[in-house]
Amino acid sequence: MSRFLDPSMLRSLSGLDLVAKTVVEGFVAGLHVSADLGFSQEFAEYRAYAAGDDLRNIDWNVLARTDRAFVKRYRGETNSLVTMLLDASNSMQYASHAVSKIDYARFMAAAIFYLALRKQRDAAALLVFDDEVRNYIAPSARHGQFLRLLAGLEAAEPRARTNFTEPLERIQGLVRRRGIVVLLSDFYAPPAELIRGIEPLRVRGNEVVLFHVLDPQELSPRLRAPTVLVDLETHARIEVAPEYVVKEYGGRVARHIEALRESAQRAGLGYHLLPTDRPLDYALREYLTLRQGRL
Amino acid sequence: MGFLAPAFLVGALAAGLPIYLHLLRRDTSNPQPFSSLMLFEAHRQSTTQRRRLRYWLLLSLRLALLLLLVLTFAEPYIKELLPGGTVKKVLVVAIDNSFSMRTGTRLQDAKRAALALLSGRRPSDRAQVLSISSQAHVLTQPVLDGGILRAAVAGIRPSDSRGSFAVLSTAIRSMAESEHAPIELHLFSDLQKSNMPASFKELVLPQNVSLQLHTVASVVVPNWAVESVSAPALVWDPHTTHVQAVIAGYNTPATVRTVSFVVNGKTLATRRIDIPASGRATAEIDSLELPYGFSRCSVKLEGGGDALPADDEYVFSIDRADRKRGLFVFQPSDTRSALYFESALGAAAPTAVVLDKITVERATGVDPAAYAFVVVSDVAALPEAFARRLLDYVRGGGNVLVALGTVAAQQREIPIFGGGAPVPRLYSRDAERFATVGQVDPAYPAAGSSAEWEGVKFYYAARVDERGSRVALRLQDGTPLVLEKPVGEGRVVIFASGLDNLTSDLPLHPVFVAFSERLVRYLCGTDTQTGPHLVDEAIALRSAREQAVGVEVIDPAGRRPLSLQESVTAQSYELPRAGFYEVRLASGRRDLVAVNVDRRESDLTPVETEVLALWRGSSAAIPDHGPLGHPSPSQAVAVPRSLWWYAMLCVLVAALAESALASRYLTTRWDEP
Repeated sequence: MSRFLDPSMLRSLSGLDLVAKTVVEGFVAGLHVSADLGFSQEFAEYRAYAAGDDLRNIDWNVLARTDRAFVKRYRGETNSLVTMLLDASNSMQYASHAVSKIDYARFMAAAIFYLALRKQRDAAALLVFDDEVRNYIAPSARHGQFLRLLAGLEAAEPRARTNFTEPLERIQGLVRRRGIVVLLSDFYAPPAELIRGIEPLRVRGNEVVLFHVLDPQELSPRLRAPTVLVDLETHARIEVAPEYVVKEYGGRVARHIEALRESAQRAGLGYHLLPTDRPLDYALREYLTLRQGRL
Repeated sequence: MGFLAPAFLVGALAAGLPIYLHLLRRDTSNPQPFSSLMLFEAHRQSTTQRRRLRYWLLLSLRLALLLLLVLTFAEPYIKELLPGGTVKKVLVVAIDNSFSMRTGTRLQDAKRAALALLSGRRPSDRAQVLSISSQAHVLTQPVLDGGILRAAVAGIRPSDSRGSFAVLSTAIRSMAESEHAPIELHLFSDLQKSNMPASFKELVLPQNVSLQLHTVASVVVPNWAVESVSAPALVWDPHTTHVQAVIAGYNTPATVRTVSFVVNGKTLATRRIDIPASGRATAEIDSLELPYGFSRCSVKLEGGGDALPADDEYVFSIDRADRKRGLFVFQPSDTRSALYFESALGAAAPTAVVLDKITVERATGVDPAAYAFVVVSDVAALPEAFARRLLDYVRGGGNVLVALGTVAAQQREIPIFGGGAPVPRLYSRDAERFATVGQVDPAYPAAGSSAEWEGVKFYYAARVDERGSRVALRLQDGTPLVLEKPVGEGRVVIFASGLDNLTSDLPLHPVFVAFSERLVRYLCGTDTQTGPHLVDEAIALRSAREQAVGVEVIDPAGRRPLSLQESVTAQSYELPRAGFYEVRLASGRRDLVAVNVDRRESDLTPVETEVLALWRGSSAAIPDHGPLGHPSPSQAVAVPRSLWWYAMLCVLVAALAESALASRYLTTRWDEP
């Protein structure tokens, strides 16, 4: 199964819809329970029939006995909303192997959308940002939303610099319904400032999870000789020696991640580090856990 | 200490390259993109510092290697003081045998003085003999054998070439590059002023060469000469032939001289002219009795009276022929083309062409073979019988010009040329209203230059199939305007527009006269007629298409200077002496080439003594010579001793050290963390 969740393998698939389907079906098969029962066919409650409800869902037995129309509701239909915030700044295009950070984030977002829309019948929204909100696809659970979201992901090519302040302020206005907010980014910003921007979403009752997408080379760079590194966003140059990377950079990265994790936990946010060579089921499992928690 | 080739010291600038590589580029590497440098900080690494310090040694070695290499090429030397008797030198005896040395006994005097010098030299000194005119002829290698040297001097004959001291300096400079012993150059010459080059730089001699000048012209000699003759190369009416000769006097008093005009050895006329002191006068004749064919003509200055009688005659050749007849076939409705074309040929008098103009209806009974060329101007269709005879005429070697006006473009095929129907193009209907000439092949005899064609507007042209043709002119849109196709032994030239002023404004431009004249001369085969040449000039014997065809040259002495193999392969022939050369070119045409001496040789004025002193001064200081030009044994002579061998040894050592050090650095580089 893990073969189908390997990011490098997924890159060879032709479209994001196929990626999403491959990931989710592979992931679901690995749960060892029926996807139907587990997700959307489990009975939850009756609700009085209202004009516009699907007639197929009317419980005819109850109608015969009580002469009143009720429709069945299943657990999967207890609607939730997942809002995906995707960082599409230039730093996300970095790749030391076959899959870049933006590709990995796209795969993951597509898989979550597939899970949410096709399996859970949740509503889903997408917001792409860099130093401003670049694209926003409003939440919907309708047929066709999945393809709209995939198109939005496809169009999210990295550009510009990251600036969380302005986009997060805009997001406050856009995310009105409570739900799950997933933020996919490499989080190259001071942790305190970042959490300050995201915290209001949590305060409004959303479940917020931060997926920290990093390339393995960013976690532990391997340099053989003094090298000039160029910042993909600012184009600044800096000469770096192998000794510095070994002795100092590793510690700095670890401190940055730890600070981000602690700040997120203090603010009641979920935080998960996702190296781009890690299979995608980890993120899906996290999403389902969050969703279960909301029911 | 000095340098034998100091120009190579410029190569020391190459030392900048390793400095650049080591100091400016040593810390740079290919920049690598990275997500964010937020977690990095600028940090000069200690290892880099160490590497810099270690690389100084490599840099020093590389600099030393380059500088030593430059030093080797510059050939450093030190001067060693040696007793005069022990220094071996090379004696170079250069004897001027240019045309001016025919004056009196100058060449004999020069040879006598050279022989005296050679007989007085030390037996240990090698000597070499050169003759100098327009080229330097090395007659011997540096040898000790006096017999060889004397024979070489005795064998020097006067030439008709112009002298050049620059040629001598060039020869000596190249000799000094391979000869490290001191060279003592002795020039025996009349030191004529006209032999000096335009730039004194060309005379400069290397440091190890000492120059001694031996003049054989002690006084300024007056000389008269026939400086130039202006005469037509081709005439058809000798009674209207105008010949003008210019007689020049150099350092001469005013005098009256008789000038004779001679044709084939027979004096036809004489003129007495007043020549001012050191001035010029002209003698003219308006009629020459010439037989048909080539005539050997000359203008002679009678009475002698100067020291150089060889320049008192100027030779030239004139070819007398009948006027060429051309046939001009045109459409009855088009009278302008014939008028313009005939007027253009009339304006170009030397063409000597008579044009017979007939309408196309009357062409049936005309035989083209009676004409030197045929022009078919904008004809809708040729009578069948005439078209057949015209095709036979071209296949047999005749030449035809076909002008494609608006009428001719209606025919299904161009006569003789073939290639399908021409496609008419009316530029007057385009936005530009006209087309201009865009491309000119200057190698085509009739094409001329692109500047000539500027401003000529073509309102109409017919596009023809250019396969198998040579395109001489094209319009701006690529339409071939003038193209030639060989048919059998002859050729067809297409002018893809009309010869009138309706299809273009060509007849209103001066280029029309020049183009028509050149084209007709080309079609007649008289385009390669040549005028008089100077000695040492070359004449072309064949064109690029006339390979492997035999040519023949008979020189003024009646000998054939080309061997059998050369007569098939030689592209040109250099004319070594004055007189008449009979030439049969690869094209089959025979020519009589008249060759004269460059008249700058007639001015016997010697070089100023200040200039000679300057020339001598540009060479190495001449030591105090004994009576025969070599130092006495008791005198010490400074001799340059080259150090290039030691420099080369140092280069080798530096190269080995650099290789060892560089390879060591390369190995350790990868071991670093």
